[in-house]
Amino acid sequence: MTSLAAALARVGSEGTYASYLAAQSALPPARDPGTFEVVKLAVLRNFTVEPFLPVLEVELARSGLLAETYVGDFDAIAADALDSDGRLARFEPQAIVLALWLDGLAPRLVERFPSMTSAEVGAESARVSAHVREMLDGIRRFSQAPVLLNNFPLPVRPARGIVDAQRDDSQTEAVLSIDRSLRAIARDVGNVFIVDHMALFASVGTAEGFDERSWMHRRSPIGRSALVPLGREYAKFVRALRGRVRKCVVVDCDDTLWGGVIGEDGIDGIRLGEGHPGASYTALQQELLNLHDRGVLIALCTKNNEADVLEVLRDHPGMLLREEHIAAYRINWEDKASNLAALAMELNIGLDSMVLVDDSAFECGLVSERHPEVAVVQLDLGAGDLASQLTRHGYFDSLVTSKEDTQRTSHFKAEAARRDLQGSSSSLEEYLERLEMVAEIGPPDDELVPRVAQLTQKTNQFNLTTRRYTEADIRRFLASARTDVVYLRLRDRVADLGVVGVAIMRSSDDGVAEIDSFVMSCRALGRGAERIMLDELRRRAQERGCEKVRGVYVPTSKNEQVADLYPSAGFARESATGPSRSFIADVRALPPARSPITVVRTADTRTVAS
Amino acid sequence: MIATEAKLKQVLADVFGVDPARIDDDASVDTIEKWDSLNHLKLVLALEDQFKVSLNEEQVVEMLNYPLVKVVLQEHGVEFR
Repeated sequence: MTSLAAALARVGSEGTYASYLAAQSALPPARDPGTFEVVKLAVLRNFTVEPFLPVLEVELARSGLLAETYVGDFDAIAADALDSDGRLARFEPQAIVLALWLDGLAPRLVERFPSMTSAEVGAESARVSAHVREMLDGIRRFSQAPVLLNNFPLPVRPARGIVDAQRDDSQTEAVLSIDRSLRAIARDVGNVFIVDHMALFASVGTAEGFDERSWMHRRSPIGRSALVPLGREYAKFVRALRGRVRKCVVVDCDDTLWGGVIGEDGIDGIRLGEGHPGASYTALQQELLNLHDRGVLIALCTKNNEADVLEVLRDHPGMLLREEHIAAYRINWEDKASNLAALAMELNIGLDSMVLVDDSAFECGLVSERHPEVAVVQLDLGAGDLASQLTRHGYFDSLVTSKEDTQRTSHFKAEAARRDLQGSSSSLEEYLERLEMVAEIGPPDDELVPRVAQLTQKTNQFNLTTRRYTEADIRRFLASARTDVVYLRLRDRVADLGVVGVAIMRSSDDGVAEIDSFVMSCRALGRGAERIMLDELRRRAQERGCEKVRGVYVPTSKNEQVADLYPSAGFARESATGPSRSFIADVRALPPARSPITVVRTADTRTVAS
Repeated sequence: MIATEAKLKQVLADVFGVDPARIDDDASVDTIEKWDSLNHLKLVLALEDQFKVSLNEEQVVEMLNYPLVKVVLQEHGVEFR
């Protein structure tokens, strides 16, 4: 093990603040990132943020991201935000943290609240919002990067004492109203996300998490109990923005899904259901169902007899998790590291998309060592809060949700039905014909924007340039006269696969349309749908009067499979800058796609209808 | 709380990014390169986190070498074995 791997492993097992500081020292410099993906992170602040930044950086490193961090001068946000040629603008951040402490912005509101009239409170709150708005507008003049803006913890000791809770003009109410107006500003500016300090400090206990003396003496308000949770919270956002969202939870069975060992205790002997200790396992299953509804795949990986586990899944009255929720399983006596690799293959996802949940230190250790890219949650059964142990890291947190999320597991079921169909077809072509595929293609309407953004954020394998876009980015493209955003929805005789493809193309004055992004969900691969998309782009380029189409391939560790997409579709090699390669084709020379897929253009339908 | 000196030295080593062997009775603001004011703040937080104590302002200001760090923790009832 390298010293970095050892330091990161220590963070996983120990989790103390000191272990984070040690791991931060072991991180490579951003100019020599090795296998890490560098993310340029700017932090503008009016308080001392330095103590929790190591936690944030190390949490990102645990997900394969290396932060190159720019920290603005103390309480000098305007100097960065209002200078379009300044240091921040030149840094070209990929994400901007605006870290604000209310006491620094509006001291009177915090320290001398009882001296203020309602009108003064309103004016002071409005001044805070206006200040934030001004900083965000300033930033938007030179950067479209996502901004992480926090709300504020509620007062620990309300200013007028116990009477405050009885009144509508309390200090607590003032902080809540600022929170509401910040959320409105965030929506209005776009690509601004609220980091919920209010909920975070409530969960660690504001009295514990806020170090009042340290705030007074050093403008450093974050107390020891909030350091690690706060660093982790910001890491969740950056991970989600960079597409490092875990897609699959792999769960052990004995002493994880239920208490006890099915092979020994039998179906009537395992602990599950109301009371102690069964309720804790029931709570874990509820949380797994919540993840399932958020689009996370659930897989089982357990050393048991298959028949025993399937009997519990089908017949145990206390089970919430049933066969229909399980996307894949390995119930056998093989080692878990190999089983995880096999599950990743079957589900067509990377090991770095998986989280293992297991009570056994041995299994967790083995998987960590063989597959360091798998996130491991070793359950502490004695603590009794299994559900929160599963979710507190936010491994599955994403900034967008879409309808496709809830259909994900049924997709894998449909895939099994298709495999049966394939068995009766003599060739791939014949099989594809039998699928009776229909592709709906066109520019996304407002309802589809979240899914389109999500595809750019989550897709790793069939992704030509791996550019991650938020909903606000997509809306900006849609508003631009020079940009085409096209989605592709696929249906077949077995199921509706939902929106599985997105392409973004920009045309320029020199008659070239450049494909900025081209992604296909792995659930739609091997069906020729990508050719339908290319054909649509060719058609649109031609409509815009462009003579040529340019495609770019930016290699990553994941997207090798599309390295030859453009040459194999008739594009010629044009140039290479660094590792990326660009390809060009004459629109008239590109052959139209021959495909068993029936194409329905939504834009065309609308034109006919109107 | 009962702790070992090795544990304490490890915390200082983690904060200042040095080998635990470097932390001896001579280790101080003057001998450890990275013992600056920001890292001193991190040291305070790391000690509070590790030993579940809350240091007061005088202690924060005075503990500028390893023996003084130990004394401050002992004042909070930490026993080193």
